[in-house]
Amino acid sequence: MAVKVRIPTPLRSLTNGVDSLDALGTDVQSVLAEVCQRFEGMDKRLFKQPGELNRFVNIYVNNEDIRFMDNLSTPVKDGDDISIVPAIAGG
Amino acid sequence: MALSQTASELEKADPSLARYNRQMLWEPIGIDGQRKLRDSRVLMVGCGALGTVLANTLARAGIGHLTIVDRDFIELNNLQRQVLFDEQDIADQLPKAEAAKRKIAAINSAVHVEAVVADVNHTNIEQLAAGKHLLLDGTDNFETRFLINDTSIKTGIPWIYGACISAMGLGMVIRPGITPCLRCIFETSPPPGMNPTCDTAGVLGPTVNVVASWQAMEAIKLLSGNIAALSPFMFSFDMWDNRYQQLRVAKARELADCPACKHGELEYLSGKFGGSTTTLCGRNAVQISQPSGSRIDFEHVAKNLSAVGKPSFNKFMLKCPIVQGQGDNQKEYEITLFSDGRAIIKGTNDAATAKAIYAKYVGS
Repeated sequence: MAVKVRIPTPLRSLTNGVDSLDALGTDVQSVLAEVCQRFEGMDKRLFKQPGELNRFVNIYVNNEDIRFMDNLSTPVKDGDDISIVPAIAGG
Repeated sequence: MALSQTASELEKADPSLARYNRQMLWEPIGIDGQRKLRDSRVLMVGCGALGTVLANTLARAGIGHLTIVDRDFIELNNLQRQVLFDEQDIADQLPKAEAAKRKIAAINSAVHVEAVVADVNHTNIEQLAAGKHLLLDGTDNFETRFLINDTSIKTGIPWIYGACISAMGLGMVIRPGITPCLRCIFETSPPPGMNPTCDTAGVLGPTVNVVASWQAMEAIKLLSGNIAALSPFMFSFDMWDNRYQQLRVAKARELADCPACKHGELEYLSGKFGGSTTTLCGRNAVQISQPSGSRIDFEHVAKNLSAVGKPSFNKFMLKCPIVQGQGDNQKEYEITLFSDGRAIIKGTNDAATAKAIYAKYVGS
């Protein structure tokens, strides 16, 4: 089962410019664990502590905010699109 | 032709609005909507990249009264994307707000523009917002955006968030009591230095134009009374990757445990949150106290700053010289950043200048 994870620009310094990846997993937690394992430093950017996202980052599955589904336990299926959307301040 | 007759009829109906007839031909606006735009009063917070596109678009659209507040001066590297400014403005050393006012006077003399050269903070924002129908975000930092958000909640005045970096942008219409507010979506800002800024990671002109044009369109809908047409989504895009998304955020209004709009804790407007500044007597320096909530990752900040200077750091502090401007307008600063987010900006005694340097190069 593969889902597409989109890496936003502000986090691409951690991924050597990689803008998306296919990840395996059955829920958001396991997908993000794979992302954090693959890219050093990503865990600090996404998580305040294990199991708790930073409050300046939101995760959307197919454009729906996981906070209003099952949060990190939100199930994902083949072909789902996971967007990491951090607060950005430029302007 | 029916079209020209309609345009002609519109001009006859109100000759003072003749210049807007292509806009009034769009039926949802019409002459009634145009009159509403003419009678609208808008506060624009920040007049850099987003702000100049917004001011340009809204002045041409006939928004009657614009109050433009900005604390900064124009630099050569602004001209790539800040569409109201030119080389002569730099030679004349004009503040952004004043330069924008002069340009708009030449574009549409019917628009009343008030230029305010000031740092927007918790002591003055309510006065600036008084009597306005809309608050527009042209800022470059989260502290001011959360301040606008608090002000919107307290006063009931809607606002439109917009932000961008590189080829990525976000935008959202916020109507207090009706939509989620910004803190329903992002409860806190990233710690200082965590995220790159436009001055460390770059930004492309088209990105700015898309975000600000989206904001301007929502502003025109709102001010012309077309409330049903407003976007209920957070608009998100990355133009380099060819991705455009409408993030469904409406549920956050009910379900987010928002400190601001649900619990009424207006921590930025009360001055509880946000940075404070102290001019360091005799040192040509300003200290900025910016609570970060966590220790600053110097290695990460140094990587961001390497695009604009030569940072060095040890476990206690990071230093980076910054040179702005060219020739006679060249100014040299030095940022000293401490692990708790506090910084000393050398090279100025002016708090607004120091806050601008911090926001540009460290991020707040």
